[in-house]
Amino acid sequence: MTDTPAAHPTDPFAPDALNAAEGLNPVNPAYAQVLRIATALNLIPLAIGASVFDALLIRHIEGPYGLITALAWLIAAITIVSFPSRRVSRWGYRIGEGQLRVARGWLFRTDTIVPFVRVQHIDVGQGPIERWFGLSHLVVHTSGTHNSMVTLPGLHADLAAAMRETIRRHIQTDFA
Amino acid sequence: MSDASATLPALADSEPRWQRLHPATLALAIVALGPKSFNLLPAVAALGFTGNWVYVVPAILAFLLISLLAAWFQWLRFRFVVGDDEVVIESGVFSRQHRTIPFDRIQDVSIEQGLVARALGIAKVGFETGAGGKENDADLNAIALDAAQALRTTIRAHRSGEAAAPAATDATQMAPAPEDRLLFAMSPRQLLVAGLFNFSLAALAVVGAGMQFFDGLLPFDFNIFNPVDWIDVADDYELGDWVYAHRGIAAAGGIVSLLLLGFASGIAMMFFANWDFRLTREPRALRRTRGLTTRTDVAVPVKRVQAAIIVTGWLRQRFGWHELRLQSLASDGEKERDHQVVPFARLGDIDPVLTEVAIMRPGAGQVWQHSHHIVALGGVIGAICATIGGLIAASLGQPLGWFGPVAGLLIAAGSLFGARFHRWADLGEQVAIRRGVWKPKTTLLPHASVQSVDLKSDFILRPLGLATLVFGVPGGSSLASHEIPAIPVATAHDLRTRILTARTRR
Repeated sequence: MTDTPAAHPTDPFAPDALNAAEGLNPVNPAYAQVLRIATALNLIPLAIGASVFDALLIRHIEGPYGLITALAWLIAAITIVSFPSRRVSRWGYRIGEGQLRVARGWLFRTDTIVPFVRVQHIDVGQGPIERWFGLSHLVVHTSGTHNSMVTLPGLHADLAAAMRETIRRHIQTDFA
Repeated sequence: MSDASATLPALADSEPRWQRLHPATLALAIVALGPKSFNLLPAVAALGFTGNWVYVVPAILAFLLISLLAAWFQWLRFRFVVGDDEVVIESGVFSRQHRTIPFDRIQDVSIEQGLVARALGIAKVGFETGAGGKENDADLNAIALDAAQALRTTIRAHRSGEAAAPAATDATQMAPAPEDRLLFAMSPRQLLVAGLFNFSLAALAVVGAGMQFFDGLLPFDFNIFNPVDWIDVADDYELGDWVYAHRGIAAAGGIVSLLLLGFASGIAMMFFANWDFRLTREPRALRRTRGLTTRTDVAVPVKRVQAAIIVTGWLRQRFGWHELRLQSLASDGEKERDHQVVPFARLGDIDPVLTEVAIMRPGAGQVWQHSHHIVALGGVIGAICATIGGLIAASLGQPLGWFGPVAGLLIAAGSLFGARFHRWADLGEQVAIRRGVWKPKTTLLPHASVQSVDLKSDFILRPLGLATLVFGVPGGSSLASHEIPAIPVATAHDLRTRILTARTRR
């Protein structure tokens, strides 16, 4: 680990600034689409529920009909359109020097380092939406009670498999 | 498992050696019926209220019969075999379970005896495999005590025989301690002193719960746990006037009896839990036996110790008393996560135990670094919320609302004061973390136990140039992870690099 942290990461809204400042690799931008679809699948039912509630109850009691529906769909649209790409740009990883480093989040940023020696086992997983975009996620298990699972999403399937092999080789060499 | 040809005949040989649990286990099942029969109470009550008194006795008998039959079938269907290098357990009446535990994977064997079990000469044997979750650990509940001890000796012998071959370090480690050596014991006098510091009003809660419980249950209109009823009785005999006239004395008497109750329950709890406490050093483990009614016999394998935690109290620290817990892969019984290996002792008595697990206590001259005062923020925000809420309530005419600002002030002062006691020090091979005023707690965490490190910062810490380090350590509670809150980012990066470059401990 040779990175010297910048005194203050620069403009928080520049997409690559954060990862560049900390010497991390960004995850695959296609992951934004995965997040977007997942968010949509979560939020659209909620928005529909809000509309139904609005139509059944607010109109019934002669309240301001339409307000809740409009707000719900507006918030859902903003969240689905703008947030995923921003969230993706906050994910970063670095593999090498015998350790895996995974960083995520901005308001609450967590930067985790797991030495390969400490890895108990490794999963490479792929959900249906991820498969659509050819992405996988890598899950590293440690024996620590805190951080027993460290997940790194948004990796190209081949890259995830290659990373798994790298980590696996290290586990083997260290036990030999 | 590599030589299947060797293990297979062993299994075939072991086929006729299936063993059952000790028949006295059924007696344990009868004892266990006591608390279980509470489930029957509503049914019996329902029968009684509907006037079907005739059916009450048959219902109870049927319940007993069914429970005993269930216990009998479970006993019948539970069998185990101790092979040459594994334990096999088969259990279950309807859904059968077949479990194989290789000796290599058994971290330790614990032996526990309740009061009834001691009278019957049987003991519950627990296998700690280090697998997560309680349901993954196997129990033999219960077998004869000598069989339990023999089983443990077998498994220990297997483990030490296997370990002697590959590691030369083991040989050096075993050389100075060839036989078991007493590290720490508690005399009744020490227990008494410890009990005095263990002042607890938990017994009051039990009485209160009893009050709630018996209030609706007793057929007559007098609850011995309810002081109001006693006052009514006193009134009948015109005692009430006397008490009112001497209320100062009555209040003093109340406080004195409360204090007595607190001390008595503290001492009793200490005596029940830690009677005849002995901590011995065995070749590979620290072994602890203790308990008045329920005797437990637990061993903590030395190499499995992940961290040491020294806990004390504001008052007992003044008198030099401390408690030592060891965080290990296995958990201590069902409630405690960490193993309490020294319940109450001077630091001088704790040091030899720490030496055994190769952990060093920072000396008196240790320079501690402090966390930033921002760690008080959570408490201060809580205090502000309490104050605002209280003020709103008070402005709405609720006089109790004034508790809000008062409590807020106390909380804010407490957290601001407590923030000064978040300290840490890097001792080279391990990190020491201290926190707490009322219950100071020092965690000694060897670098080599750390599995992963989080460096966390958020929108409050980042502008201040601070970060929080969180360590992933095996064992312990998932709720209380080890962390160093709010230290300068550069320091945090340095410390993280240093910790992660430490080699594995074993």
